[in-house]
Amino acid sequence: MIKIGVASLAHMHAIGYMDALLEIDGVELAGIWDEDAVKGKEIADRYQTTYYPELEQLTGSEIDAVIVCSENVRHLECVMAAAKAGKHVLCEKPLATRVEDALAMIAVCRENNVLLQTAFPVRFQTSIKRGKELLDSGAYGKILAMKGTNRGRIPGGWFLDREFSGGGAVMDHTVHVVDVMRWYMGAEVTNVYAEAASRFSEGKIDDCGILTMEFNNGVFASLDCSWSRNKKFPTWGDVTLDVICEFGVLSINAFNQKMSVYSNENGVSWDYWGDNMDLELIRDFVQSVREGAKTASVTGEDGLRALEVALAAYRSAEDHSPAGIILAH
Amino acid sequence: MKNVLLIGAGTMGRTHAEAYTAMKEVSLRGIVDSDAAAADKAAERFGIRAFGSYEEAMMELDAVDVVDICLPTYLHREYVLKAADDGKHIICEKPLAGSLKDAREMIDYCKDKKTKLFVGHVVRFFPEYVQARQVMEQKGLGDIAVVKASRTSSFPRAWDNWYADASKSGGLLLDLSIHDFDYLRWCFGEVERVFAKAYAPESPEGGGYALTTLTFRSGVIAHVEGSWSHQKFTTSFEIAGTEGIIDFNSANDNPILSFRKAPDKPLEGAAVPESPLLEAPYYRELAHFLSCMETGEEPIVTAEDAYQALAISLAAIESSRSGMPVALA
Repeated sequence: MIKIGVASLAHMHAIGYMDALLEIDGVELAGIWDEDAVKGKEIADRYQTTYYPELEQLTGSEIDAVIVCSENVRHLECVMAAAKAGKHVLCEKPLATRVEDALAMIAVCRENNVLLQTAFPVRFQTSIKRGKELLDSGAYGKILAMKGTNRGRIPGGWFLDREFSGGGAVMDHTVHVVDVMRWYMGAEVTNVYAEAASRFSEGKIDDCGILTMEFNNGVFASLDCSWSRNKKFPTWGDVTLDVICEFGVLSINAFNQKMSVYSNENGVSWDYWGDNMDLELIRDFVQSVREGAKTASVTGEDGLRALEVALAAYRSAEDHSPAGIILAH
Repeated sequence: MKNVLLIGAGTMGRTHAEAYTAMKEVSLRGIVDSDAAAADKAAERFGIRAFGSYEEAMMELDAVDVVDICLPTYLHREYVLKAADDGKHIICEKPLAGSLKDAREMIDYCKDKKTKLFVGHVVRFFPEYVQARQVMEQKGLGDIAVVKASRTSSFPRAWDNWYADASKSGGLLLDLSIHDFDYLRWCFGEVERVFAKAYAPESPEGGGYALTTLTFRSGVIAHVEGSWSHQKFTTSFEIAGTEGIIDFNSANDNPILSFRKAPDKPLEGAAVPESPLLEAPYYRELAHFLSCMETGEEPIVTAEDAYQALAISLAAIESSRSGMPVALA
């Protein structure tokens, strides 16, 4: 039995990951820590697991791994605590909000011989995986350009507080698609141009952005990372990726396995019936833990590389000039 | 009754001819093309006279009120000046010219000769685009945040393969994306900065792809995709504001899809979408221009608008070459 704890419920993905743990054989949700004792106990009761009032109590318990779902800026302390206690780590994205934090997380996990996986569920989305297969087949020839979107509804709470999130839409939604682009091409972003603005959050934080990136294989790509879906939009958001190739165009709309549901109450909503990527992400992490894998399938470095792009986008948006990236090691 | 002489028997010339033929108050007197076969074929189809040169047509025809120029871009200047010299009102296909210098000269020249110059930015006559602008004006989408516009098609094959020669066509940022640049400027006002990345193959097979970000003085961020690397002609736009979203995609939003099997080749053929209207957008555009000639009314799109759209395209081209954003004056 693989025992997994959850460090913080601050990020809503914690619930999805815990639901996934319940569905996988040979895995136990073995404890939750959250600084909000009321919420922590309530969720722990609901999931029939132990609530720990202190982070070190969770990381020091009899568990194999920790899923970190804290506010972005607190990933560092959670990953540190888990790694020092010898527990493998799956950390919510963005891995960190500063390059030095990401480097420290990578280092501490390496020193303690534990896995550090960045939670990029989109890599485990079936249509995104199929896209990789199609491109790898060689049938499309060279990749020339990409156009991606990862749009969503504006979240609330700490997401809009830079002190906790490290940034708004650009921080939150750049990393998923950049990770997929890097994965598809095995290439790194060399520079980023970004236009960003605050429109939906009453000036609290950046909530829309258009990035244009250059990769070290000569490909250019754009990404709309805006929180531009409104309350009545038929779905939460999207992940799309158009890949323009020498011999054709591959157009992926990852969650377009949907049906439209029309109700008197809520108007139209798009109900997704495709595979559950969160489940596949957790299944993959659990398997790496179970098999004693040397590295996670999506690493801390992958998280760092995506973070570097988001940070460069902020620099560019500030300067109205492309921002170069020097890969940190 | 307006007497029109059409210059150019290519795809656009034939499209205009079709529109004129349907107009009661218009007499299409002839069509000019240096390619005699093309001119004859079009003349036969529309029941008009064919001419090998502009001069020949002007000599033969007694009454010409309007010269409509549907030539490759690099020939626009020469024919606009000729028609202005003859004191004719002019309708010229977009883009007005390949350089701002030429465009300014053409506009000034027509002013001097007291002839009217209309430029065929037809997107302002497509009902879906007109209506999106009306919805913004009348219902409001709140504060406009992020706008996406896309125009993708296969590579246009035309006389002398002139689209493949950037010195003649300006490439797709000048020829294709200019439609969206003009439309967006119509909706959101003057552009402050332009950033673009473009891929243009050297090969006569054509292709090409460009991604442009426009930042408007109003703060609106717009992303424009232009492609000659796709298969079917598709246009789409999405306008996201704080109070609402407008979304249109010609690939999905059309009323007729027909698929016809050839009796001897039942497995071949492609589904063709159609969006019929009593008055096609080109008809609306040309009828509007002719009416403006009559009434002296300011057209929905002026020659100055065409100049400004050209300035945006040229800025995008410059940015795609330099890797830097270009500020518009």
